[in-house]
Amino acid sequence: MRAYVEFAKKAFQNNIAYRADYVAGVINAIVMIFVNICIWKAIYEDEQTVDGVQFKILITYVVISFLMQCIYAMDEYHIEYKVRSGAIGLDLLKPMSFSGYIFSYNIGILVFRVVMQLIPALIVSIVLFKMYPPFSLSMAIYFLISTILGYLVLYNLNFIVWISSFWFYWTFSLVTIKDAAVMILSGALLPLWFMPQALVDFINLTPFASIYYVPITIYLGQVPMEEIALVMAKQLIWALGLFIAGKLLWKTALKKLVVQGG
Amino acid sequence: MGKKPLFNIFELFVLLLKYAKLSLKSILEYKFDRTFITIAIVCREMISVVVMFLILVRFVHIKGWEYNEMFFLYSFLFLSYSIFVLFFAGMRDFAEMIYSGEFDRVLTRPLGLMYQIIASKIDLSAGLGHGIVGVILFTKTAFSVGIDWNIKNIVYYIVILISGAVIQASIFLFASCFSFWTVKTDNLRNMIFFNARRFSGYPISFYPGIIQKLLMFVIPFAFVNYFPAQFYLNKAEINSFWNGFLYLSPAVGAIMFVLVYMFWRQGVRHYSSTGTSR
Repeated sequence: MRAYVEFAKKAFQNNIAYRADYVAGVINAIVMIFVNICIWKAIYEDEQTVDGVQFKILITYVVISFLMQCIYAMDEYHIEYKVRSGAIGLDLLKPMSFSGYIFSYNIGILVFRVVMQLIPALIVSIVLFKMYPPFSLSMAIYFLISTILGYLVLYNLNFIVWISSFWFYWTFSLVTIKDAAVMILSGALLPLWFMPQALVDFINLTPFASIYYVPITIYLGQVPMEEIALVMAKQLIWALGLFIAGKLLWKTALKKLVVQGG
Repeated sequence: MGKKPLFNIFELFVLLLKYAKLSLKSILEYKFDRTFITIAIVCREMISVVVMFLILVRFVHIKGWEYNEMFFLYSFLFLSYSIFVLFFAGMRDFAEMIYSGEFDRVLTRPLGLMYQIIASKIDLSAGLGHGIVGVILFTKTAFSVGIDWNIKNIVYYIVILISGAVIQASIFLFASCFSFWTVKTDNLRNMIFFNARRFSGYPISFYPGIIQKLLMFVIPFAFVNYFPAQFYLNKAEINSFWNGFLYLSPAVGAIMFVLVYMFWRQGVRHYSSTGTSR
């Protein structure tokens, strides 16, 4: 366990070296929030209120979503780099679980992003954009749990994509296509309630809504108390399902690596 | 450098084709990968298009802009970016040339420096990726927003797209120039460029005055898509801007290029190699 904490620390320190990147990350998030708010303002000028969803709720949705995007960002090319450079051969010899290492590495990045990006961006957002606080204290706690579950769903989905580098070597394309799917289908950019019913029905069959939409709607108090256990159970099932799928793929990948002689 | 040119225009053109052939050859070495990357770029660029589409399905129009007009406006961004990375990718990646020492090699050849930089690189995947999105948006909208595509309009359209590409190339080359003084500006450039581009996806009239001014006079993306689109659409809101802006895109492109070119020449004079040439 100590080793994994060290991995996480290492990832945290590595990130500090790229100061310009994290300042850019904060500014990007704030610009994105601002652009989206301007667009929603323009829409609402036309139609006053739409669907009974208040403008302010939408602003809150946008802010929370982009803040979550800040911390949900992971190192998408770490495994690919390891596979291509052959460093993975050495890593596998070490007395550690490789997937455990990758996870703790990303947790290090997560902690870094919470401290260095989320907190500044959150403060700026609270000052600049008039967003709602969480619906209630209990919803705030459920929101935090749900966000962690959302992170795990995304992480396990990502892990499957990353592992594909054992077959493809370059995963830019797959990662980019996955990102596009996540961005649209998870409600990160547009709340699902604005989408056509057929699309929402489809999304409900996929893990995507568990990533952004569920935590944000909990924050907003749109999920009734009695349904919270259900939506979180769904998140947990997706996280576990994708985790198992990832494990199975990992086993196949290892065989593939052995065939190649590493 | 007032030397007599070594090559005439025709020879330069033939050489340009040879350069292009070489770039394409190295790109097409990995046909499958490149195709896949192009598809990925189309998907990535479609994110904002799909979101805009879903919003418009729901709300029909935003501030008087309807579906076709919005996407017509958006198509300028993709098409001009596509031209930019197909023809001026060398200007985009110029900083890279300095870090890798590749620029030393360019300096020793008996050819114009800017010519070599522009000729040396084609980003086919990004060019095609953005181009495909741009063409889809353009063909879906250009004939349903009430534009009479006569010769004058077609010619000006082409001029505008090239101007847009030159404006974007100038922004990139400007940022790259700082690497002559070993200042790394890639992060700052990407941040400024792509955020400005994000804003420009929607009409600038959606934004507060200060953002409009920024997009007109500092990072002039308004001349890449908003004013060109307004030239054709003539929506009433254009009255809040000076009418002359509609025709200024080519001038903005030309002026920016000349200024950046002068700055770049200063840089070349100051240049000392990183010593990393292979």
